[in-house]
This record gives sequence, structure tokens and C-alpha cells, in this order.
Amino acid sequence: MELSFMIIDESELDCFIARKIIENTDKSLKVITFHNAKIALTTISETPVDNHLARSIILLDLQMPIMDGFKFVEEFEKLPSTIKNNYIIIILSATMNANDISRVLAYSSVNSILDKPLTREKVYDMLMLVNL
Amino acid sequence: MSEKIKILYVDDEPDNLVGFKASLRLDYHIFTAVNIPEALGFLNNHPDIKMVFCDQRMPGKTGVEFFEEIRRSHPLPVRILLTGYTDVESIIDGINKGNIFRYVKKPWTEGDVISAIEEANKFYMANSMLLIKNDELQKAYNELNKFAYSVSHDIRGPLSGILGAINIASDIDDVDEMKKMLFLMEKSLKKLDTYIISMHDYYSLQRGELKITEIDFNKIIDELKPLYSVNSKTNNVKFNINVNQEQIFRGDEVPLKLILNNLLSNAFKYQDKSNPNKSVDMSIEVQKNLATINIKDTGIGILGSHIGDIFNLFYRANSQEVGSGFGLYNVKSALMKLNGQIEVNSVMHQGTTFKVTIPSI
Repeated sequence: MELSFMIIDESELDCFIARKIIENTDKSLKVITFHNAKIALTTISETPVDNHLARSIILLDLQMPIMDGFKFVEEFEKLPSTIKNNYIIIILSATMNANDISRVLAYSSVNSILDKPLTREKVYDMLMLVNL
Repeated sequence: MSEKIKILYVDDEPDNLVGFKASLRLDYHIFTAVNIPEALGFLNNHPDIKMVFCDQRMPGKTGVEFFEEIRRSHPLPVRILLTGYTDVESIIDGINKGNIFRYVKKPWTEGDVISAIEEANKFYMANSMLLIKNDELQKAYNELNKFAYSVSHDIRGPLSGILGAINIASDIDDVDEMKKMLFLMEKSLKKLDTYIISMHDYYSLQRGELKITEIDFNKIIDELKPLYSVNSKTNNVKFNINVNQEQIFRGDEVPLKLILNNLLSNAFKYQDKSNPNKSVDMSIEVQKNLATINIKDTGIGILGSHIGDIFNLFYRANSQEVGSGFGLYNVKSALMKLNGQIEVNSVMHQGTTFKVTIPSI
């Protein structure tokens, strides 16, 4: 099964780093980045189900203008499960706020949370998670 | 403090009311009520009544019962019970149920009443000061919470980005890619720097005192203009300025510059990149002791549903540019300091106009 990454982060630098680290870990991994969670959500919901053959890990930041990570997850959970089942949401954030962390982990579609910055070890862990 | 203390006296005996008013009206502003509905009417119409004297023995409701009631509906005025000295039960009730400040025994002497008034006034002032301080503290706590929250996003966020970039630097061989990364790192650090400068502005606005001088708007513009000339040239944004100051204007230069700087930098920052005729127009008119500043851009505009939020701390309506969510909040704080007003008019994809009015001090 093909695996790809979708990075949703307002910061260009963080998107750049995440892309580099993932590509350096395994050249075959596809990476797409979004600076705006709303556009990412539209892309996910408008991609025909037939094309959802590959699984995607969504690396989602929490604090973003326009649509933040919480709102994104909330809207994502309203999508049909034929779409949702193709994605795994992992939060990638610099937040230290315990309330934010427990709040976002309470969503059933959120798998786990990673502290920024992304490193090669964290990518390995995610790949292990998907293969299990 | 020159205004007379407002006092309400409630008694079912008209003679008592007249006597009370006659002996005290020169020094105090006395309202008298012959029954409870009338007393409630005064309390509702005069929220600045500082104390209520009430007789214990009245038909219908006792003084204690009345105090029990207004303790909830009108908690601010200080309650003082007038009662015959044999009436120990009512005094106990007055303290326990009516939560009275004092009681004055009947028949009262002017000295007793005046000393009760003076003490009650001190108590009232201390209480109101406490309420004001509590409000201020609550506001400070709320902002502190917002700060603590923003620390992870606005300080730790950019830092973790830089750290991540350093981690992968050794894996990058391509010079162009390295340059791209350095550019993004610089952008991230600039954002962090902007945040820290704004935080400094925020603090000086909250704590600093006003320094009033004569303001020459032409001079201020001469200082500000060069800051935007590079942006104006590189992004092809026309910068038109029109200053019309014929009279002396007095104010504090620091918050004034902060307002102009924040509004101008927003006007340049949030331009519509696809628009071939980009411009920022600023006009300053000083007339009748009032400075009216209009800053108009041809930018992306602000969505109607966001306009109400743009002056909130850490609010950001847009992801197009580096923003800390501090700028307009600081503008609002600076305007509060200068007793000024701000209005926003915005049309999506056409532009935004901020109109600021500041009185001369």
C-alpha cells in the first residue's frame, strides 16, 4: 500500500523541514503541504473516493489562523468514513498547553501528538505505526 | 469628591423624614422615602446612592427584611438600621440577615448619624476601590493567560522551526535549497522579533505615562516615510500622503507613532498581490482641536464577520503575511490612552480604510 504525508502548517519553514525530513527518510514517500487548513479540508473532501487507495498521514499543527487544528478535526470527523478511513491524523505542534493537548487527543480521529520539530526518529515511529 | 454624598432614608413616619432631611441636607444629598416601593424607586434611579438608612418598624416589611432584599438587588449601598434600643432581636437579625454596616439607635442625635455617614462612606469607597481593582486584576490575569498561551505558538513555534532547520542542514547538499531554507529561517526569526517588539509596545502602553508635547504631523510623516519607501518601491505600492495641519496639536508622540506605524505597515502588508494599481493613501487633517487620520489601502480586505474581532489580542484574520495578532490590539490600547476613536471600513478584494480621530490635549 502506498503511503503519503499531508502536512498542514501555517509556517513555511515547518512545512519545508517536515518535507525534507520525510523525503530524506524514504524517497518513495509522497509529501504535500498546506498552509491553510481550510484548503486542505476541501482537498480531502473533494478527492474522489476511488483515489483514496493510498493511505495518508496528516501532520496537523494546532494554532493556525482562519481554521485551527481543532476546527479542522471537527470538520474532518463529519466526512464519510469511506474518506476518513484513508487518513491518520497526527498532531505536530510546539504547544505546551495541557488543556490543548488533552482536548485534541479526545477526538477519536486523532491518533497521537508529536512535539515540534519533526525528526527522522519521529518519522520512523510513524512508519512503524502505519505498518502495524 | 466635591459632590455631596447621596443618602436614602426610609421611614414610615413623615415627621422623621423631614427632621432627618432638615438637619443633614446642607452637607449631604438626602432622598427620603415613606415606604419600600418608593425607596426601591430611588435606588433604581440613582445607582450612585452610597448608603441607606432604614427604620426597623414599618408596616408591611421590617427594615431588616428590606435590607435582606436590597442586599441582593442593590448590593453597593451601605446599609444602616435605625431602631429603638430595646429592640435587640431586630439588631441581631439586622447583622445576620440584613448584613448591616451599623445601627443607629432611636431617637438619633445628629452626631450619631454623621459619624455613621462618615464611616459608611469610607467603607463604601474602600469597597468600590476593591471592585475596580478586582476588575483590573481580572483583566490582567486574562491577558497573562493569553500571553502564557501565546508563548508556545509565537516563541516556541519559530524556535522549534529553527532547531528543525539546523537538524536537517547537514543533509542538504544543494546550495539553492540551503538558501531557500535560510530565507525561511530568516522569515521565522523576523516574526519572532516582531512579536518581541510588539510585546514591548504592549507593555509600555499598559504601564507608561503620557508625555504631552506639541505635535507637528509633517515632522512625524518625514520620519515615518522612509520606513515604507523600500516596501513601496519593491512591491510597487503608491504611497500618497496629504497633511493639513494649521493649528497646534498637543498629544503624546509615542502612542501616536505606534498607531500610524501599525496601520501603515498593515496597509502595505495586506495588499492584493494581483492588483496592478496598489496604493496606500494617508490623509491627516487637524481642525478644531481634533486630528482626523484616514489610512486607505487597496488590499485584500477584511471579511465582515472578522471585523468585530480584529482588535482582540492575538486575533489574526489572515494567513497571508507574518502577523503576531498584536498590532491592532496595541493600536486600540494606544487610542484609549489618547482618548481617540477608530472606525474600520472594508470591502473584500477592494481594500480597507481605517479612520482615526484623536483630540488635542
